[in-house]
Amino acid sequence: MKTLNRRDFLKTSGAAAVFAATPGLAYSQVVGTAGPFDDYRALVCVFLFGGNDSFNMLVPNTPAEYQAYALSRQNLAIPQNELLEITPASVQTPDFGLHPSMGGIDGMGGIRGLFESGDAAFVTNVGPLVEPTTKDQYMNGLVTLPPQLFSHNDQQDQWTSLRGNVPSKTGWAGRMADLIRSGVTEQQMATNASLFGANLFQSADETVAYVMGPGGPIQFEGFSTDPDSILFQQRAAFRRVVEARYGSVYERGFVEVQRRAINAADTVTAAIESAQPINAVFPPSQLGLQLETVARLIAVRDRLQMKRQVFFVAAGGFDSHDNQNDDQPGLLGGISDAISAFHEATVELGVADAVTTFTQSDFGRTLTSNGDGTDHAWGGNQLVVGGAVNGQELYGSFPLLEIGGPEDVGGGRMIPSTSADQYAATLARWFGIADIDLDVVAPNLGNFAQRDLGFMIA
Amino acid sequence: MSKAEAYQFLNQASFGATEAEAQTVISMRRENWINDQMQKPASLQLPHLQALPPPQFPFQLHADRVDIWFRNALYGEDQLRQRVAFALSEIMVVSQLGALGNLPFAVADYYDMLVQNAFGNYRDLLEEVTLHPAMGVYLSMLGNEKPDPVNNIRPDENYAREVMQLFSIGLVELNIDGSERLDGQGKPIPTYSQGIIEGFAHVYTGWTFAGAPGFRQARPTRFNQVIPMQLYPEFHDPGSKTLLGGEVLPEGQSGEKDLSDALDNIFNHPNVAPFIAIRLIQRLVTSNPSPGYVRRVAEVFNNNGSGVRGDLGAVVKAILLDDEAHPALAMEIDGKLKEPLLRVTQLWKAYDATSNSGRFPLNAAYILFGQGPLQSPSVFNFFSPFYAPPGEIRDSSLVAPELEIATEYQNTLFTNLMLLQCFVLNSLATDRGDDDVFIDFEEEMTVAGNTNALIDMVAGKLLGGEISETLRAEIAGMVERIPETDTAFRAAETIYFVVTSPEYAYQR
Repeated sequence: MKTLNRRDFLKTSGAAAVFAATPGLAYSQVVGTAGPFDDYRALVCVFLFGGNDSFNMLVPNTPAEYQAYALSRQNLAIPQNELLEITPASVQTPDFGLHPSMGGIDGMGGIRGLFESGDAAFVTNVGPLVEPTTKDQYMNGLVTLPPQLFSHNDQQDQWTSLRGNVPSKTGWAGRMADLIRSGVTEQQMATNASLFGANLFQSADETVAYVMGPGGPIQFEGFSTDPDSILFQQRAAFRRVVEARYGSVYERGFVEVQRRAINAADTVTAAIESAQPINAVFPPSQLGLQLETVARLIAVRDRLQMKRQVFFVAAGGFDSHDNQNDDQPGLLGGISDAISAFHEATVELGVADAVTTFTQSDFGRTLTSNGDGTDHAWGGNQLVVGGAVNGQELYGSFPLLEIGGPEDVGGGRMIPSTSADQYAATLARWFGIADIDLDVVAPNLGNFAQRDLGFMIA
Repeated sequence: MSKAEAYQFLNQASFGATEAEAQTVISMRRENWINDQMQKPASLQLPHLQALPPPQFPFQLHADRVDIWFRNALYGEDQLRQRVAFALSEIMVVSQLGALGNLPFAVADYYDMLVQNAFGNYRDLLEEVTLHPAMGVYLSMLGNEKPDPVNNIRPDENYAREVMQLFSIGLVELNIDGSERLDGQGKPIPTYSQGIIEGFAHVYTGWTFAGAPGFRQARPTRFNQVIPMQLYPEFHDPGSKTLLGGEVLPEGQSGEKDLSDALDNIFNHPNVAPFIAIRLIQRLVTSNPSPGYVRRVAEVFNNNGSGVRGDLGAVVKAILLDDEAHPALAMEIDGKLKEPLLRVTQLWKAYDATSNSGRFPLNAAYILFGQGPLQSPSVFNFFSPFYAPPGEIRDSSLVAPELEIATEYQNTLFTNLMLLQCFVLNSLATDRGDDDVFIDFEEEMTVAGNTNALIDMVAGKLLGGEISETLRAEIAGMVERIPETDTAFRAAETIYFVVTSPEYAYQR
């Protein structure tokens, strides 16, 4: 017999209102307040695994600032005459340049083209922080820092969980899904979908992300929904096996995945097979394939009754300790080509204003060279793309890229001047999270003055 | 010892239990079986690769490397050694995916090095790992130079960081039982600072491929990728270096002396014993060892009984012979999920898998199963030792590392592959590709007219004879729908249901 859990009880009994008045426990943390939604919105996180050297992605192009950059980076600096100049709307002069691989075939397309047309923006020198941090505070231990700075997995976790100095079991996309869950009960698929494996970003207390392959979900080939087929019986028998009660936590964890897989495979694969073909041409890369699949899933959003979605896709290889000058064109050109193709697909599907793509990465990299590459650092630049982006602009302050400068804690490791919490909260607000709940999504947001960085159209 | 107990032991200590090997364990007992295994000569990969005609492109040899890995895993007499080496390959990770794509000999030789050190001393292993060109390339110690302050060039920190975080001591100080040490404020204590990483980064300068005309002229060859890196003294940083615990290496030491001292510095850190104990227990026996289990194994790491620190053979023995590896009454957190690759090798061993060519060149293992031998996506392995899926495991502060790659996608793919294996890639098929790996269930077909006898036979081979009532009933229901005369269909159906079942995926 189904028993009511505490949450169901709260929802159905009206006790929620009483509960909400209890000091110290936000009602929204328990049941979620957002929605129902009458429009569709999707966030697409492109995670750049390994730590993107984003001070070679976005480079200062004014004389003194370029000079500081070139002096710091030495043999890793992009020659100034090779930069793809971009013109932030606020200054009307080409004060910055992009890596030469980020302009598509003719140097005018790709991310450069999207920036100049107002569909892309950068958030600069952003990274995990617990509270605003100066070099003096850092050097003298006067500030709470995220633990294990410069470590891959720890900084990945900090970007995706935003818990700062507290280890977290949930990610900020997971918490968003929990907050809106009562408003999206019609959805045929989980709010969070990953095309790149299980991840902390989408991990939650109440909702579970659906993990599909880079080309989308696959069917169980031994199963049929035709009652006359023995494969129909096979499916039923298989189902009963995974629905049985097991003695170990490992079997129980395993069957939970199997149950979700069986339940989702039919609906989602049937939907995706009905999708209209997409004309936008994606590059033949892992990231291109994942983003093409996301576009196909967005194309069938109505059939799946989706109102809010967060997709997790990723590219690897950014840990450029070695051969950076050889590898960087492929890495940065790869994200430029795939993300711009994806944006074109959203235009084609008529959802460019409803889909926002953004990057996250472990960390920025040292400005100094280790000979032919760079090491783990901290703050870096992130890219945001979509019709709802206040584009052709840079948000946050851009540091002077000087060794020993005011933001360098050694070797050209930049202290972030904007926190990952602020970055996430700006995206979350656009997604439909109420202001009061932004602190649930981004728990350290209250330590920073600016709750909204302004890069999304309100 | 019961057959089920022998199966439990062999699933911890080999690439999958079989009825024949279970009989051996029952008659020899665990400890004698381990002693016997430790004497077996090592099955290697490099000699196999070197005997092959050179391919057009070096990367093609990775398929042969995976082939010989499977053959050693399935047929190697040195099962325990191979299994421990596989565990080590998931702790001290290099991968063919990335810069080693064109160095298949280096990758094979790296694996052989793990195989040969599986029961050796951890200090020797640490040095061989550090100086192996595969690791040198993978974590960029190879070609790492002393600083060039004029050009803002400082030593590469990649290996310096990961050897401590992932291969030896971890990020925070541990007690002997693996629990975190806490400071006065109740917070974990970091094992090292950025400054200490920089100290080690300076140690690891001056090394590249051996026998090169010059440091910066070094290029990989067939020969230098399988011998330890060599020091080129003029590229080694001569300054002093501060290491763990504030130990300072004086300036002017040779590169070899710096390296030896630095590896001693890591080796003698009190974290190594509990760190390696936890990692190896998790790979072999259980995801959530008790503090007592970790402590007992860590104490053996610290002293093998003869005053030797780092004796991996003794550590392996302590892990496998501990009562917690075969508890009288299993608790719900005992055991672990089997890695997909181990689910496959167990099936293949039990059903005499082979191919027409006799080869297993599954270079796409990492795509098909979510993991393959030395095919990790990064130095962080296929899954994290700390992974906790949402739900009761996470809520109870437990972990289940293997569940990180048991996603909806990978599980569905695995289930489909097993369908293909049972119904298509079997010994009855007539139109197999040369390299298609097939199983042989013709023995099952002889009893397939009798549903219970059929289930007993398959459960006997794959589950050590213990099958849940649910699984038995569901298989029986399906088998009864198939005509008695269609013995192949009945046998395939039974094996398919067992190898995709939660109880088969679980290592007791």
